[in-house]
Amino acid sequence: MQIPVGDYLAVSAALFITGAVGFLLRRNPITMLMAIELMWNAGNIAFAAFARSFVDMSGQIFVFIVITVAAAEAAIALAIVVMVFRRRPHVDVDDISIMRG
Amino acid sequence: MVLFWICTVVLLLTGIGVIASRQPVHSVIGLIVNFTALAVVFLTLSADFLAMMQIIIYAGAILVLFLFVITLLTVGNEPVERGPSRLSFQTAPSVAAGLAALALLALGVRNAQPSAGIALPADFGSVASFGLQLLTTHLFAFEVTAFILLVAVIGVVLMAGRKEVRF
Amino acid sequence: MSGTLTTVPFTILFLPLFGTIVIAFVCPRFHRVAAAIIANLAIFGSFLLTVILALTVWRLPPAAQAFTVKYPPAWAAHPQFWAHIPPLTISFELRIDPLALVWMLIVTGVGFLIHLYSIGYMAESKNYRTFFAYMNLFVFTMLVLVMAGNFLWLLVGWGGVGLASYLLIGFDTDRPAAVAAARKALILNVIGDVGIMLALFLMYAHFGSLSYKEVFANVTSAGPAALNWIGIWLLLGAVAKSAQLPLQTWLPDAMEGPTPVSALIHAATMVTAGVYLIARAHPIYDHAPLAAQTVAIVGCATALFAATIGCVQYDIKRVLAYSTMSQIGYMVLAVGVGAYAAGTFHFVTHAFFKALLFMAAGIVIHNLSGEQDTRKMGGLAKRMPLAFSTFLAGTLAITGIFPFAGFFSKDAILDQLLRLHHPALWFFATLTALLTAFYMFRLVFLTFFSGAYRGEHEPHAARSGTMALPAVLLAVLSLVGGWLVLPGHDAVTSALASTFADRSTLESMADFNWPLSLGTLALAVVGFLAAYALYERAPQMRERLRTTLRPVRALLMNAYYFDTIYHWLFEVPAYTVASDFARYVDPEGIAGVTTGLARTTVHLGDTMRGWETGYLRRYGLSMLVGVVLILAYYLYVAHQGAALGAR
Repeated sequence: MQIPVGDYLAVSAALFITGAVGFLLRRNPITMLMAIELMWNAGNIAFAAFARSFVDMSGQIFVFIVITVAAAEAAIALAIVVMVFRRRPHVDVDDISIMRG
Repeated sequence: MVLFWICTVVLLLTGIGVIASRQPVHSVIGLIVNFTALAVVFLTLSADFLAMMQIIIYAGAILVLFLFVITLLTVGNEPVERGPSRLSFQTAPSVAAGLAALALLALGVRNAQPSAGIALPADFGSVASFGLQLLTTHLFAFEVTAFILLVAVIGVVLMAGRKEVRF
Repeated sequence: MSGTLTTVPFTILFLPLFGTIVIAFVCPRFHRVAAAIIANLAIFGSFLLTVILALTVWRLPPAAQAFTVKYPPAWAAHPQFWAHIPPLTISFELRIDPLALVWMLIVTGVGFLIHLYSIGYMAESKNYRTFFAYMNLFVFTMLVLVMAGNFLWLLVGWGGVGLASYLLIGFDTDRPAAVAAARKALILNVIGDVGIMLALFLMYAHFGSLSYKEVFANVTSAGPAALNWIGIWLLLGAVAKSAQLPLQTWLPDAMEGPTPVSALIHAATMVTAGVYLIARAHPIYDHAPLAAQTVAIVGCATALFAATIGCVQYDIKRVLAYSTMSQIGYMVLAVGVGAYAAGTFHFVTHAFFKALLFMAAGIVIHNLSGEQDTRKMGGLAKRMPLAFSTFLAGTLAITGIFPFAGFFSKDAILDQLLRLHHPALWFFATLTALLTAFYMFRLVFLTFFSGAYRGEHEPHAARSGTMALPAVLLAVLSLVGGWLVLPGHDAVTSALASTFADRSTLESMADFNWPLSLGTLALAVVGFLAAYALYERAPQMRERLRTTLRPVRALLMNAYYFDTIYHWLFEVPAYTVASDFARYVDPEGIAGVTTGLARTTVHLGDTMRGWETGYLRRYGLSMLVGVVLILAYYLYVAHQGAALGAR
């Protein structure tokens, strides 16, 4: 029994907005990174749904590549977080604002 | 069908849990459940290989990395949000913008076309067909991704391996 | 085309420029005399090559005597290497023909003699090297002017000689008068440059080309009105450069420059460029009777005008300047009525005797330590026999005493005026001849006779071989130069024939009108006698005349108040407008706009900077808001599209 593609997209949208709002509201950098992971995955649902809908493997391949890039991103972001935490144990992202114009 | 709706509920609940919990460790646990549910969603989309990847790479590797960082650096810390916020005008607009985006997306999704109704090939989403596509049609993207990973590895080693940090 | 005819003109042209560059950049390491030697060698080399070229060309059959060379020859077939704006192609081309050759010979020949003279005259100058560098530069630009193969290169030379003239008039930069005179000369000359530019625009519009060959070949394709306008604008250039009415005021002031400069630039060569231009553009003037008539009238008026002023001036160089103006008026008159050969002939003889007069005057001035006022001279004939005899030779030549050069060339012009049926112009030109004799002999008497020496400083008789030799040579040339045209023999017309081959009639000067010549000679003698009577025999009569004619004298002394009129007509309004602009428009209007713009930018930047908080979450919020807006836009467009599709 086929589930309509619109349902998947709705789930994807809801999950994405959850991640986005979380990114904007939280101040712990690690939690923010997890919010970003949520957004990646929301995108992945949409890709996979479209792949199924159009019967095209390219969407799935793209999900695979997104996962890979997300892994790279997470590694780098966590490295930055590690650097920041070494400097001071208690980190609020709003404290890291020296790069303003 | 039922499976999909169960997964949806789990996905949304754990997603909210991830961004709402005070302790990062709780967030990671929420995220693990979230990703597992996501793998099931992939299965309903006949993306078998992706479901495996989701479990192995995301839940297995990336989230373990998160856990390591959390346990190494922040155990025993007060949650950050206890302190006063610097950004006075952030929460309300963020929620408003999020809701607006959600509403617009819902509007867009409502217009989504129904599926083409093409019969699925038997091997759709299988490891074999996935590998064939990845290493033939999408070989270039594959190579570029490999290169990105290499760059990321070098960057992480450079940054995390440094003794003194200045910023 | 043989190699000689392509490489030699090129070398002639660029040798003086080479001299300038060497003097300017290499010579500072050497003794100052090196500069003089290099400058002289460069010009002498140019002169020798010009002689060789001239001998070669004049031996060719008439049809081959006029030719155009494009440089480098290999590029001739590739217009795209040059300024190529179809249909206009402007390449670097030189036009060699008898007319250009005559001018080249005079520019390099007389130019060389004056360079030689300068060695002695400028010996005490601090900026010896600079002077010779400028002089070589002048010869180069003048050669560009006369050798140019199209009107654009002519304009380049035209502007170039203006620049060189400016530099040399203002050579004594520590004298404000010299600097002011230089500026005046440049400004008035630029008016002429603008005139030539306008003529060029018209030529481009009507012929689509600026090359002599093409313009002259298609000259009839433009209507007489267009040709008249082209002629008038070219005349404006000629008037400014040749100090003709009404742009003549810069030439007397230009005498502030060193005397060799006055001799070379403001007597022998540059100021005759206007004559050259009109002779060069003769196909245009032949089809533009109105413009040609204007040329003749301007020339005649200037000749008379300058001669009358010359009668009352006391500065020896100013008198010579006015006589130059007057003589160029003759030439312009001649080319205006179509007597091109006569005009060119007078140019040649004038270059000899006027350069000579300036050299002789220069020797006098040099020996009097810079004194130029004839009222402080007198009785110098015995003290400076060389200066006197050369000056006298020049005077005899300019006044047209047989057998000196002026007798032949001036008579040729007067004769042609009658032959071409211009009796009125002939009358004024003859009157000018009388006045010329008067004021030139007046100058001789004032300077070399009229009692004893009146100056304060005892004249020192510094002799310099390099000053004497050119003067003597030119004195000889002033005598024999006129013999190019003798009864029954006209070398000038036949030499120039190939330049003016398109004219059906180029009047020969060989056929002498003896009564006319003798009449003019008699007038010259009358002028001499009048000067003798007033300045040697009867000074009391001079006093009486001076009292009776006081207003006329004041008018003449002030050169018809041209400077005053120009001052009130142009300078005062210009200064008023400029100062008003400086006081009100610039600080309030223009500066207001620019500072306003700057202030707006700063405000805008400040406003934008407020958004750049550095807070990651703020940026994130901005992005999300952007996402919302883009989504809204796309949905709106989709909605519109759906609505359109539904309709």
